[in-house]
Amino acid sequence: MAERKPVVALDPHSRRWTMAAAAACVLPLLLQLPSPLGLLIGGSAVAVAALSWRKPLHALVRLLLTLALLAAVIALSGSHFGRDTGCAILAAMLAMKPAETRGVRDARSLLGFALFAPFATFLLDQGPLSLLLGLAGVALALMALLRLTDIESGIRDATKTRARFGAVTRLVLLGLPLALAAFWLFPRLATPLWGVPERTLARTGLSDEMSPGDWIDLMADDTPALRVRFFGTTPPTSQMYWRGPVLSDFDGRTWTRSRRSTGLPPAAVTRANVLWDYQVEIEPTERRQMVALELPIEAPGDSRLGHDHELFSPLPLSSLTRWRMQSSPPETFEADLAGPLQQASLALPAGSNPRTQALAARWRSDAGDDDAAIVRRAMQWIRSEFAYTLSTPLAGRHAADEFLFDQQEGFCEHFSSAFVILMRAAGIPARVVTGYVGGYRNPIGDYWLVRRSDAHAWAEVWLEGRGWVRVDPTAAVAPERIYDTLDDRRPGADSLLGRMLGGDASRLFNATDWLRQSWNQLVLGFDAERQSRMLRPLGIERLDGVRLGLLFGLAAVSALLWMAWLSRRAERQRDPVLRAWHALERRYRRIGLGREPDEPATMWAKRVAQADMGSADDLLRLSQRFSSWRYAGRDDDSARASRQLILSLRRHRPSPPHAASPGNGEHR
Amino acid sequence: MRKRVYGWALTFTRPRDPEPLPVTFDRRRVYVLPTRFGLFYAVLVATMLLGGLNYNNNPALLLALLLGGTGLASLVAAQLQLSGLAVTAIDAEPVPAGQMMLLHVHAKAVDGRVRRGLQVALDPDYEDPALLDLQPGNGQAQLLIPTSQRGWLELPRLRIATCHPLGLARAWSHVWPQTPMLVYPRPETDGPPLPEGSGEDAKARLHPSGEDPHHLRGYRHGDSRRSIAWKPSARHESLLVREYQQPAGADIVLEWHSLGGLPHETRISRLARWVDEAERDGRRYRLTLPAQPAIGPSQSPGHRHDCLRALALMPDG
Repeated sequence: MAERKPVVALDPHSRRWTMAAAAACVLPLLLQLPSPLGLLIGGSAVAVAALSWRKPLHALVRLLLTLALLAAVIALSGSHFGRDTGCAILAAMLAMKPAETRGVRDARSLLGFALFAPFATFLLDQGPLSLLLGLAGVALALMALLRLTDIESGIRDATKTRARFGAVTRLVLLGLPLALAAFWLFPRLATPLWGVPERTLARTGLSDEMSPGDWIDLMADDTPALRVRFFGTTPPTSQMYWRGPVLSDFDGRTWTRSRRSTGLPPAAVTRANVLWDYQVEIEPTERRQMVALELPIEAPGDSRLGHDHELFSPLPLSSLTRWRMQSSPPETFEADLAGPLQQASLALPAGSNPRTQALAARWRSDAGDDDAAIVRRAMQWIRSEFAYTLSTPLAGRHAADEFLFDQQEGFCEHFSSAFVILMRAAGIPARVVTGYVGGYRNPIGDYWLVRRSDAHAWAEVWLEGRGWVRVDPTAAVAPERIYDTLDDRRPGADSLLGRMLGGDASRLFNATDWLRQSWNQLVLGFDAERQSRMLRPLGIERLDGVRLGLLFGLAAVSALLWMAWLSRRAERQRDPVLRAWHALERRYRRIGLGREPDEPATMWAKRVAQADMGSADDLLRLSQRFSSWRYAGRDDDSARASRQLILSLRRHRPSPPHAASPGNGEHR
Repeated sequence: MRKRVYGWALTFTRPRDPEPLPVTFDRRRVYVLPTRFGLFYAVLVATMLLGGLNYNNNPALLLALLLGGTGLASLVAAQLQLSGLAVTAIDAEPVPAGQMMLLHVHAKAVDGRVRRGLQVALDPDYEDPALLDLQPGNGQAQLLIPTSQRGWLELPRLRIATCHPLGLARAWSHVWPQTPMLVYPRPETDGPPLPEGSGEDAKARLHPSGEDPHHLRGYRHGDSRRSIAWKPSARHESLLVREYQQPAGADIVLEWHSLGGLPHETRISRLARWVDEAERDGRRYRLTLPAQPAIGPSQSPGHRHDCLRALALMPDG
């Protein structure tokens, strides 16, 4: 591209600023990328910047380096091309850009593209650290832009960093009203224009399948999964079963969601006389599966209830979402189990777990028709003989056999899986339910925090007359483990900082998590739904798109007017006496008797008198007072005198020829 | 083509006629348009906005809006850089036609706002803008403008522009000073030497160390070393110069009519060169032009200016 102007070269100071600002913008993005990728890109950025510090790299070298880096990025991020790969490529391009940065133009475009990096970061992560780093990067980039403008206009000496920071802060503050108005009022899209690309960075969470032993990662992940606020009654911790995927198909090793029940309407339920009213904030999972306490009464918003009363959101939960729900425990749950569903809930692969099958057959013959007795017997056995541990060997071919008869210790996956197999072998329909159990109450914000490590699996058995009944064999063994009653299960206690601070760690954690929750409340969970209900406190039940648009337009226009007012005000005469004098002149200009720029005040007044103006005498007096105020020495009480002068100047109005002249023109 | 359209559009901007100084820029004559980088920035923000809306990603949206708001604020700030600025005066030392004239543009801004990096340039081409930095409220820019003809140079429109603070928008304002600048005639490059003074006292001029010193005076910059009276100087501990009363006959007479036969402009050029040479040599000279009283005889920068000015303002032949 032909350049019109010669390249304005960067001085070392500006180059340092540009590079530092670009680096600060890219840093949060690099932190979000998988670490090998982040290290590779960060390393090449540093190398390229160092190599090209004195003079730009040769074009061929640049091309080869870029191609190599892109190839490495694509190789490292795998075959799946998604948002992550896109972000990595952006970071890589930014890392290569310093190689050709010679002039102000290059530096500008580098900074412009670098401003995109925090945006990309927010698509991957909306946590406070990313946010803080991103905003710091943006501030630095704006300051660097300021410096570039300086050298482009020929200023050699750099402005002081503090002055530059002040200038940028002023600009941001000036733009803030518009930005905030737009943020709250700009109509949101209820459904996106294009799909959300899957985040390939795997985050352990509830999945649609479970095979015993594979949840170890999840149990160690202390990050939040849900935050729940109850309105009215709060259930006891032992009742807080957050139902997620219901798994009823078993292939001998892995439990998966039932294919048979998909598409069926929700099963019939009669409810107990207890109602829990609560709001759940679900951290992004990139899945459509939601969780709810026990059985939700209806699907909130545009979510959907499955046959097993699982909740599905219409779209993958790619950002923090918030749902208001009501739930109650069931009295009966699918009391009539249809034949094919019953078959499916009894199915076991042929020949698997022979010892369990034999035991189940023995129990069945002991108990006769009483299904509940078999369940009780199993629970008693588990309570007395089994232990809870997270360190278990990998299961073999007959996992339930090994668990029930050899190891007799494990965690929720082993307990629930083996229990359900035992029940099915005894002819009782049973299935595995996964989700979260319990929660930790944050006293500062009065909400419940459910972490990923609270993931749990339990069982449901189908009993005649009652339908599906929850049975939790793990809770029989280690209630303290799953209900968060142990001190060392308190958040933060396990971390290095927690050990140093002792008991204060959880308080610190409470405070930080509360801050995070408030941020979520204020900003992250703000969507089309909440926006439309924004003015509910003012009595407006629902804002539709048009009204929202109008409101936004109003706010935007007033913000712009405010800016315009600022720019008008800036050119206003500072001296109030002069201002009043100029206003008076303007009044005369309107009737064609304006003062010429080179005309002294008294001369002008005389000219007005010649034009036979009624107010001429008063104007003459005023202009003499004004002249002596302006040019003669000011005496002691000039403050009072000038106040009076201002008052008289403001009062004066030109009155038409031959009008009855009341002296100082007090008529209006 | 692009330049033509732009020039056509500029005819609508204020001011449309030359105006007396001082001129204060108010918002009616400050224009703001995004720069190329500003357009790029707008596209960037729009992309972020769309992405943030689509993914309902509030931090991304907030970032985009914050950047957008800052961009708009920088438009206002760019306008504020110029609004309230006053161009108080423009002056320049006259130069011979064909040389670049150094224009001093004086500006001031009464309020306390910092105005940085204002650039002054000639309106149509904007080449080589001069920096006008007025941090404490007053400032001046030094701008070179080409001259081609002797006489009054009507100044073109000047553009005072700034891309501050972020380089996203350029705010500019035009000032079209009514003050014409004087351009001296172009001196002849080579031609006959300076005519000698007439009369018998002419030779006296050649012996500055002659016998009749009239009086002594203090040394002035530009006095010849030979005229310094070293002995009296030593007594007075400051340099003294002998000044001779020069006989009128030794004066050089630069006569318009004596150059008959030459074309009009050549006469002016030759006289202009002679004025310069006489001044350089430290000789008294007198210039007579048609239809006006003779100038001089005298010898001083002021006299030279009077002569050259008269020559510059000679009506076209």
